[in-house]
Amino acid sequence: MDDCARRSRNASRLLAWCVVGLLFAGTAAARNAPPFAARQGLELASTAAQSWSADAVLVYVENDEPLDGAGSSARWGYLYYSPSQERARVWSIREGRLVVAENLDMRFDAPPVSANWLDSDAALVAAEEGGGARFRKEHGGRLVNMLLMRGALSEGDPDVTTWTFVYSASGAPSLFVVVDATHGKVQRTWRG
Amino acid sequence: MRHARMLHAPCPGRFGSHQAIALLVVGLVLLGPPGAQAQDELITTVRIERVKPAREKIPTLRFLKANRDFIRGRFDRLRQESRQEHAGAGELDPRFLAYRELLARIAAAKDSVRVSAEARERAELFASVSDLANLERELDLMERLLDEQRVRLGTLQADFAGRQRTELDVMITGGALEGRLDSVVVTLEDGTRVTAGLNETQRESLKHGGVFEVFRGLVEPREQVIAIAFHGEGWSVAAPGYVTLEPARDVLTFLKLDLAQAHPTRGITSVLAGTWQLDPTVPVFPRIPAIPTAPTVPPLPTVDAHQDQP
Repeated sequence: MDDCARRSRNASRLLAWCVVGLLFAGTAAARNAPPFAARQGLELASTAAQSWSADAVLVYVENDEPLDGAGSSARWGYLYYSPSQERARVWSIREGRLVVAENLDMRFDAPPVSANWLDSDAALVAAEEGGGARFRKEHGGRLVNMLLMRGALSEGDPDVTTWTFVYSASGAPSLFVVVDATHGKVQRTWRG
Repeated sequence: MRHARMLHAPCPGRFGSHQAIALLVVGLVLLGPPGAQAQDELITTVRIERVKPAREKIPTLRFLKANRDFIRGRFDRLRQESRQEHAGAGELDPRFLAYRELLARIAAAKDSVRVSAEARERAELFASVSDLANLERELDLMERLLDEQRVRLGTLQADFAGRQRTELDVMITGGALEGRLDSVVVTLEDGTRVTAGLNETQRESLKHGGVFEVFRGLVEPREQVIAIAFHGEGWSVAAPGYVTLEPARDVLTFLKLDLAQAHPTRGITSVLAGTWQLDPTVPVFPRIPAIPTAPTVPPLPTVDAHQDQP
């Protein structure tokens, strides 16, 4: 009887380990999703946006998971605004699939980004040369965010679409580098 | 079990021609038309659930949400400056110009056919071999025009039907065992809600194999839960059901709800649901076989041929 109970306990443990293993494998798979540059998900996001609203325009892009050294992320979020609906909706893409679709619970009638914006990898080169690399070296910082939008953070011409890079380091104010997303030139930098 | 074995046991001595024919007929019926079998294989059964499936909440646009006031303030400032980009006139798609040309060619082709037809009608009988030659020429002309029309249709098909967007078509069929279905409500995840009402004729048609389209529209190409609710006598008290679908990008996906076994007391889960996709390949128009006019007419010697004879 004891032997039987022991066997049953062992079987239960084995089953529990299997479940834990499967859960861990699932999480690891999500974490190990291949990173990609922001433009790669644009077509799929645009398809979804057009099905939502015919007048939807891309107004904002942000990395939804950590960035690698080449300006790629395993997940990007694409925010579209529909003037007819006066609403914004975001689609997040990972591994070529839409994994999130939700309406933004705030007013965000931003202007559309220009069509020919530089991809995240190319823009990162400019940001690194424009102070990002030095900041990472001096403060042991890292690039935490890349934001594409038009006008809001640019200097001078408010019609310019820009990539904004946010570098962060413990014990030091963050570094913001704004890069013209059309020509790849650094517009401005500030700490804050 | 034993009985079944007995049914399948061979009995050569009593296996007559009638049985062989009957088996052949049954076999053919079971095989069915190849198209129908292929269609059945493409349909995937989906489950209608009573409880909306829970989904993992994945965060998105964290920076924007954390700094919403700052970023929105920047956009507000931009708007105050009221800078507006003037929309430039976009280039006209050359295909739109080509369509006009296609129409002109179709009209010209129609004229040619009409002239030929009128000429043919005027000639009441073919008096000589030269009339047959004329007929052959006319048939050649028609065949050429048909070929050209086929090419034009192919162009239009590629431009329109070939550019399928991500769409969902929800339809119902079959008559419910009990109750009376007055309307069907389909609610998509983005909040789009469509109500389709049925009249007596449509209900009767459903019982006899008719299909009723409840919703057809653009959907997002992602996994999503679609809520379906029935209203009407007996059905209004039934809770809505949820179907999880993942419409493929740039493809028309069908969702068919079969009510043949549905009963209000068993709720919406008694409805059978199946999904399939429209084949996106452009159909090939079959060539119309040429009418064998020339070979059947024996070649007659011409006057010149006679003269060449020694």
